[in-house]
Amino acid sequence: MEINKLGKRAAALAIALSLTGLAACSSSSDTTSEESAAETSAAETASEAASEDTATEAGGTCINEIFGPGGEAAGEGVTLNGGMLLAMTGAGSFFGDVMSKGAQLAADQIREAGGMDYQITIADHNNGDVPTALTEVKRMISQDDIRVLQTSYGAPSEAIAPLIAEAPVLTLNGGGSSPGQLSKDFLWQNRMVFAEDPAAGALAWIHQQYPDAKTLALIGTQENGVGVFQETAPNAWAKLTGGEVVVAEQHNVGDTDFKGIASKIKSAGADAILSVSFGDDLGYQVKAVREAGIEVPFMGIEFTGQAASIAGSTYDTFNFATDFYNTENPNPWNQCFVEAYQAKYGEDPEYYGSNYYEQVFIFWDLVKRVIAAGGDPTDPTQLQDALIADPNFKSVYGGSDTVVGEVTLDTNDHSISKPMGVFSVSNGTPVLEQEIRKVSPADDPNSALVQ
Amino acid sequence: MNFELLAQLTIAGIVLGSFYALLGVSFGLVYQTSKIFHLANAIPFAAGGYGAVWSAEVLHLPLFVALAFGLLMAVVFGLLILFLGYFPVMRRNGALLSLFLVSLGITVAFPNLLQIVFGTENIPLRTYNSEGELSSAFDNRVFSSGFLTITLIDVLKIIVSWVLIIAVVVFVKRTRSGRSITALRTNPTMATAVGIDRKRVYILVFALGSFLAGVAGLFVTAEFVASPVMALQWTIVGFIAVFFGGIGSLVGTAFGGLVLGLLSSLSSLYLPVNYSPIVVFASLFIILLIRPQGLFGKASV
Repeated sequence: MEINKLGKRAAALAIALSLTGLAACSSSSDTTSEESAAETSAAETASEAASEDTATEAGGTCINEIFGPGGEAAGEGVTLNGGMLLAMTGAGSFFGDVMSKGAQLAADQIREAGGMDYQITIADHNNGDVPTALTEVKRMISQDDIRVLQTSYGAPSEAIAPLIAEAPVLTLNGGGSSPGQLSKDFLWQNRMVFAEDPAAGALAWIHQQYPDAKTLALIGTQENGVGVFQETAPNAWAKLTGGEVVVAEQHNVGDTDFKGIASKIKSAGADAILSVSFGDDLGYQVKAVREAGIEVPFMGIEFTGQAASIAGSTYDTFNFATDFYNTENPNPWNQCFVEAYQAKYGEDPEYYGSNYYEQVFIFWDLVKRVIAAGGDPTDPTQLQDALIADPNFKSVYGGSDTVVGEVTLDTNDHSISKPMGVFSVSNGTPVLEQEIRKVSPADDPNSALVQ
Repeated sequence: MNFELLAQLTIAGIVLGSFYALLGVSFGLVYQTSKIFHLANAIPFAAGGYGAVWSAEVLHLPLFVALAFGLLMAVVFGLLILFLGYFPVMRRNGALLSLFLVSLGITVAFPNLLQIVFGTENIPLRTYNSEGELSSAFDNRVFSSGFLTITLIDVLKIIVSWVLIIAVVVFVKRTRSGRSITALRTNPTMATAVGIDRKRVYILVFALGSFLAGVAGLFVTAEFVASPVMALQWTIVGFIAVFFGGIGSLVGTAFGGLVLGLLSSLSSLYLPVNYSPIVVFASLFIILLIRPQGLFGKASV
């Protein structure tokens, strides 16, 4: 954290404390439109101070160049009520923070580009608590009249599936996509299925780089990636190497002490490690494993700067396989997004922020299609029908310096296909090592490596 | 029997147990003296870590001065909770439940306050080097001997925790102020009758307890990062250690923490590591059934 940021935040605290008293006396609605307006205003003021041109360029022009002109056909005058079910407090609050920032930026850009007015209501599922998630979604449906939803985490997103199908509410999950969420009506994924999709490619890459590795240690949780832990990884590893899994340890989400697991891996003499844990846990794991003197390849399924900050320099010995977002990608929309994000929040966007940013543009695309067909652009059923009719959308992933990337949603199981890769970490920054693709469990895992 | 694994898990258990012991004594000092279920002991823990991180980056303090600043913040925040949270309720003869609710409220609110001020990101402890650049403040060296390894911070955790625990126990047993703590803990009515200033003793135990919590927070920050939710899970371990080792006995609490750490680590010799919390809580339950006063506690208390 930079010194000036800390200073600004200390000043912001003084203002926040003053405002808290006022806020306590006013409405307790969670609707963030007013906050959004305040944030936008603050961001605009800051941007104006730096450069009068920045706000306009960040918000409107490039979006119109990529998505076409604003106006009625682009949804001007249409208000779409969207909900966000996120981890806003607790250990996962970082995720909620960046996800909501991505969505809010998208809403601002679309409004500025002459598109729909996307109103966001944020609900906190208390770091994945299922009963809280159910209560909050019911509340957003009944009180806030949400028509679309951006959900996160595996367990709460699986739990709300019946609610959103009944309402209905068109829902996208760009965080904890899991097999249990697939093929559910009105529930779609814009992240590759966590652990399941990149696992074969990850193991094939280890086998390619370390052909002598025969024994594998598996680390995971009891929440996400359980199928990989129990079946996909052991089977793929046996196919690739003829070897076996010698350690398989699950831990509780949020654990910080992995010395016991590291000791067991060392004792078993595993040649490689695959962890399907997520969040900060990965950072603690890598640090514990390396400090235990274990030098074998360590592969994960996720990269976050948060975990990297925990592991410190030991993260430079870490590899991961995922549908990774790259701020350096020259794709014109991606560069427009990165510049706008930096201008608004003073930091680089990352993986989750970009997914939730994209989701709002998917909703906008659907709104435009429904308007073009003469339908009601706030009707979730018509929005989903438009999605099924054409499941291709522009993306900040992939593409080139002249072409915007594209992603395709699978209309059968509601999953998504995105570019994936195996990455190494250098000075805390990911470096692409190998492109990989999704393969079915019946296929040769080596075919997951893109030649 | 895999003796190498047993030895490594024993080392890990001693490290963990020493840290639990420190947290237990921190919580136990306050609880045993005031009977306040001081869940908000998490605040000085986090204040220690954030104080060090903030002072190193913003005030450009060198490492050891930043650590001292962190400890100062831990004590300041511990006393703020006492003066602004507990004393007002005590003045109105609030029940222990009211004090617990105050503590709970502070504990829930404080991480959110940290998020507002410092953001949701993890913040590593970094200091400015001679070239004016921020760099990692602490090189956590690893010492190896065959299969066995231990890090520098682990060694420091063991040494510092037990030095501080012994110092606190000696202070409580051998000094006039310390004996007033014992007097108030064992017989508050009599202690007050003979002129012991209850408020002064409370200030003393909150300062000491917060200092120890701050040290624990510094260890976590130096080893990993400061984060808004860094404290609560450790604080809970602290009061498990109190009930495990012995209510009414600081020495019992300390050894309770050590046993707890060893149990937690060694259980993974035969069981998956995610069974560790089950083993710990099952053991606590059994001990409370057999010895309600805890492993090393005195039955009369």
